[in-house]
Amino acid sequence: MRADTTDTTTIYTTAPQGAAWRRSLARLSHALDNSRMFPALLIAPVLIFFIVWNVIPTLWMIGLSFYKYSLMLGNERFIGTANYLSLMSDDQVWAALGRTFTWVVVGVGVQTLLGLLLGYLFWGSRDMPGRRLALTLLFAPMILTPIAAGVFFRLIYEPTFGIASFLFRQIGIEVVFLNDRNLAFASVLLVDIWMWTPFMILITLAAFGSVPKAELEAAEIDRIPWLKRMRYIVLPNAKFILMLGILLRTIDSFKTLDLVYLMTQGGPGNVTDLIALLLRRKAFEAFDLGWASALGIILLLAAIAFTSIYLYILNQNRQRQQQEVI
Amino acid sequence: MKKLSIVLLAALLLLTLSFTAAAQDEPHPLAGQSINMAILGIGGWVPSGLGVEMANDLFVPYAKENYGYDVTFSFAESPFESLFQRAAASLATRSNEYNIIISDSQWLGAFAEPGWIVNISDLIANGIPEMGIDPQPGFDLDVFSDVVRTTYQIYPDGSDTIWGLPQEGDVIVLYVRKDLLLDPDERAAFAARYGFEMPETFEDFEALTMDDFEKMAEFFTRPEQDLYGTVMQHVRTYDFQTMYLYPFMFSMGGDIWNPETREVWGVLNSEINAQAMEWNKRMVSYQPPGALNFGIPENVDAYTQGKTFSAFQWAAVGLSMVADPEMRENTLIVPPPGFVREDGSFHRIYSMGGQPWVINSFNTPEQMRVAVDFLNWWYLPETQLEFSRRGGNPTVAETVNDPAFVDINPWNRAYKFMIVPENARDFWHEPNYAEMLAAQQEGFTAFVSGQVTDAMNTLNWIACQQQAILFDNGRTEVAPPAECADIALQ
Repeated sequence: MRADTTDTTTIYTTAPQGAAWRRSLARLSHALDNSRMFPALLIAPVLIFFIVWNVIPTLWMIGLSFYKYSLMLGNERFIGTANYLSLMSDDQVWAALGRTFTWVVVGVGVQTLLGLLLGYLFWGSRDMPGRRLALTLLFAPMILTPIAAGVFFRLIYEPTFGIASFLFRQIGIEVVFLNDRNLAFASVLLVDIWMWTPFMILITLAAFGSVPKAELEAAEIDRIPWLKRMRYIVLPNAKFILMLGILLRTIDSFKTLDLVYLMTQGGPGNVTDLIALLLRRKAFEAFDLGWASALGIILLLAAIAFTSIYLYILNQNRQRQQQEVI
Repeated sequence: MKKLSIVLLAALLLLTLSFTAAAQDEPHPLAGQSINMAILGIGGWVPSGLGVEMANDLFVPYAKENYGYDVTFSFAESPFESLFQRAAASLATRSNEYNIIISDSQWLGAFAEPGWIVNISDLIANGIPEMGIDPQPGFDLDVFSDVVRTTYQIYPDGSDTIWGLPQEGDVIVLYVRKDLLLDPDERAAFAARYGFEMPETFEDFEALTMDDFEKMAEFFTRPEQDLYGTVMQHVRTYDFQTMYLYPFMFSMGGDIWNPETREVWGVLNSEINAQAMEWNKRMVSYQPPGALNFGIPENVDAYTQGKTFSAFQWAAVGLSMVADPEMRENTLIVPPPGFVREDGSFHRIYSMGGQPWVINSFNTPEQMRVAVDFLNWWYLPETQLEFSRRGGNPTVAETVNDPAFVDINPWNRAYKFMIVPENARDFWHEPNYAEMLAAQQEGFTAFVSGQVTDAMNTLNWIACQQQAILFDNGRTEVAPPAECADIALQ
């Protein structure tokens, strides 16, 4: 009885406090709803994260690029644009950029073509038994880390016991994949294509899936040949997503480091030395942080250029859609 | 009065004895404490692993018994090619994440210059008073030969300042299959074809020239039998190609720089070094397919799988090369061939391998004291002998000069023969070591792989790169010459 009383009292005495607390919360919520600060508060955590992890390091890197700064010797001194001028006249940089350009154009080109082909086949075979399993297996390489794929293929290419070397030997051809100057680049690029073609298949499926069904059905009824159907209906509608995929792959491919580092370290000689490997070497072997920062800034600008192209295409697409609506 | 004097004298004596006893029993400053130590070393490298294994197996009980503290050693490991970056990145942040580092010999300058590692000369003379560590005269080691001291201990070159203590001594030796070498039919066939007998004993190999060895390598290169004459290391990773090209350059009379002026241009790019590169490249034709991508493990595999008649391999890898008892029985381990110079003189100068211990400057006083205790223990004769018994290569004179030493491991005789200044040599200990190495690895592997075909132009390009690195970093007053602007690796 006493306990009940106590409980009742407790309830009685806390109820008004709880109500007051709720009223305060409601007032605060109302004030926030009407405040211009509310959106800012919502994005604050992301903004803080972005500033701490992106903006400050980038500014720091920009500043560092104007210094001669070796982590080893600690001889930090301001040298203006000397690092930029140095890397502009550095043969290694241009050679590495040339190889990276070939890497991106050939790699992304082949991935896109294969992605379109295989994506089209999967798109047109929705009722095929085992389609889901086949798709899952096909996407597996994309899920692997480049390090795992690198190790995997180093063993496959291994000249004495690798399965690829063995198979070629069976047909009387002695192939040394990773240390033949004529084959090393293609051998590593093949692994990149193997890894990232599934991504382009995925993009193709998403792109083709975005084609309005009504247009496809109309084409079916009108018995338009598949080539024309692709050219006038599918590709124009899928273009935007396909471009997005190509641009994402281009930016990513431009930064390739881990796979090549693990498989050849840029060799033999420098036939597989891409720009990201050169940057890594300067930053983490030579510890020439100023020069490496300058190169990093140049690569950042290149990535921004790619992104700008993407945004430009995006805007063009929006404008076109708006005009069609009007 | 006399009685009193006797009593007083006895009391004084007792007091003195008790003080002496107290002083003798003064506990170690870390007694009763538990300390965790981390050693950073080379991943998959037997001697590094042995150091940590022995620390845990033998030093831990030793420290408990003699010093009264508990200590554990963890092993952080990275492969050769990434260990330097891992160590340097950690030390640059003044971290004591790794208390003792098994460094490569060429990194001494890079670690010493910024003050990341303890100056052992100071430790020997003064100790570390602020940490209560007394002078350590025991670290003034009596090492087997001067090349041990200059390779693993000294920076800058030519000075007396000690920064490292030898952990593992190492040199390139030649592993040869006895079943092929001593086979009467093979020997007769070889003699008939080349007009001289193949060497048979350790002493025969001491006099073997690279010219004659090349004939042996050619003789045993039989792709149809999946057998090749020899195996070296040519991969671009870290310093592998460099380590196997330098013996050709050094032995033939070439050099890589002037250590006093730090001139590379005009020294490295010499005609004799170009010839050395051509010869080194020619040796690839006697090696298994894929040899251009071979590092240490691939070299071990090629030899142990019976694909090669011989192998130029580090003495430190002896344990892996002859792990199989049958292989151990069937392998003759000898000095690698020498080179006859134009003046007729015979020289054998191979690259030094091996690693020193270095102590992290940013250790806490407790970690520093354990590091000192551990290294003092490491150089005890019985520890060095045990290291050898487990497959390591000690460098302390007392151990290496022990008559029993050469019989402990099958490679010990060749190792002892090679680790002297006449037969082995290290290269730069510069702070810019990694950058200079990366440049020449690129050039050397471009040439050996056939990407470029002009040895002299390759040497010119490397010399320009290295001269610029040294000049830009204020390590030399000699700038790269103007003609470097027109030299490209092509």
